[in-house]
Amino acid sequence: MNIWISELWRFRELLWAFTLKEIKIRYKQTILGIGWAILQPAALTLIFTVIFGVFLKVHSGSVPYPIFVYSALLPWTFFSTAISFGALSVVNNGGLVTKVYFPREVMPLSAVGAAFFDFLMASLIFILMMIFYKTSVNLNILYLFIIVPSILLFTTGISLILSTINVLYRDVRFVIPLLMQIWLYLSPVIYSLDQVPPKYKGWVAINPLVGLVQGFRDVTILGKIPDFGILSFSIITSLVVFILGYWFFKKKERIFADVI
Amino acid sequence: MTPIIFKNVTKTYYTSKGKYGLLKDALSQMVSPLSGKGSSPKPTVVALKNVSFEVKKGEALGIIGRNGAGKTTILKLISRITYPQSGKVKAEGRIGAFIELGAGLHHELTGRENIFLYGAILGMKKKEIQEKFDDIVDFAEIRKFLDIPIKKYSSGMYSRLGFSVCAFCNPDILLVDEVLAVGDINFQKKCLTKMRSFARGKTIVFVSHDLDAIENISSKVMYLDRGKIIKIGKPKDVISLYKKTAKKELIDY
Repeated sequence: MNIWISELWRFRELLWAFTLKEIKIRYKQTILGIGWAILQPAALTLIFTVIFGVFLKVHSGSVPYPIFVYSALLPWTFFSTAISFGALSVVNNGGLVTKVYFPREVMPLSAVGAAFFDFLMASLIFILMMIFYKTSVNLNILYLFIIVPSILLFTTGISLILSTINVLYRDVRFVIPLLMQIWLYLSPVIYSLDQVPPKYKGWVAINPLVGLVQGFRDVTILGKIPDFGILSFSIITSLVVFILGYWFFKKKERIFADVI
Repeated sequence: MTPIIFKNVTKTYYTSKGKYGLLKDALSQMVSPLSGKGSSPKPTVVALKNVSFEVKKGEALGIIGRNGAGKTTILKLISRITYPQSGKVKAEGRIGAFIELGAGLHHELTGRENIFLYGAILGMKKKEIQEKFDDIVDFAEIRKFLDIPIKKYSSGMYSRLGFSVCAFCNPDILLVDEVLAVGDINFQKKCLTKMRSFARGKTIVFVSHDLDAIENISSKVMYLDRGKIIKIGKPKDVISLYKKTAKKELIDY
């Protein structure tokens, strides 16, 4: 693992250049520019509020449904954007892979980095919403310092795994939109974890995003301490997924140029 | 000092359907033994067979041979884009692989942005690119077009941009795969002069079908055929052997 990290460190400027490129090209041709980062979670918040908040009357506890759902859409959108771009990143840069040497993980990592930039932009709206809805913030928000890095690790791990599989089996990319759709419903974005019947809670919580997304919501707008059992499971799983994902990627990386 | 060493290198490519490619093929291959069909042999192409050679510091090795001889494979092995099935490849120092000019340039970004991006891809540090920026722009003659997206560039401007960044990236080992034919006469002359100034003190591996260019630039030449080294030696000798063999094959054909 050390060799990989030190090699990646050697190429840190390339990683930065790639991430910058990803961000720039996403916004160069759109009128809204950076507004796109905000549009996706905002539009989903609107439609979810109408369908799930108003029509189906999903309970949102002590806060209004819009900010209830946005607080989870924020980390979720980061995850799904990073995966959607990251999984295709190596194949899309196939020309480079067959011509220039650099540690290939630069590609999915830059996709994750660009998605994180979007996340930061969308967080600004989140802060505005928190002010608007006058949600209570307390020191529990400091838990974000472990929750957000864990989300980053998990997202990076999945990105690395999927981007590898996509190089080897090119039709995997068709599965990814469906995978993201299903995963959205398996995560407590539209609903809260305590609304899941107790006999299913254990199964649902196997998804690391459950602990992380619920935790994100708990500490930001509910001022609650997160459920440590589920959260620590999610954090450990995120770390394991990252390590396994990185290892899997580096093992298969050697044949990328032969197979692309 | 020997920056490049190949020792008993064998490189094989697998071309079978189903090993990698589409998941549905891989799955059906796994199922087919059950359905009674025999397992098909794994088709392979041996690109290099037990190849050994060295390139010393300051030497310029020209590689010639028919298409499919394994020349580009050697460049890919040196630049660590791919790895050998057996044997050892050693390549020390910063490697500038000019296997395709402009791989990595993005058409939505401006010329200026692409110089930094491409420079980073070639392994240059940002500071280095900044210091050499004006030289790169002047060599490529694109000063007026720096802040336009390169999708608006002509193909000549595009190639000049690519070559110019490459020209200043200052690698220890230079790998060139037939990319010298860019730009107009003046620019071509500039490129050839730049290439020859490279030759001093650096190690070059140069693949081309342009036998005059090979003779001009190389200090020794390797004739490769179907994965095996036929001859390495003085440019004049190896080139004339290649010409004789090619002529003979043409006559037989």
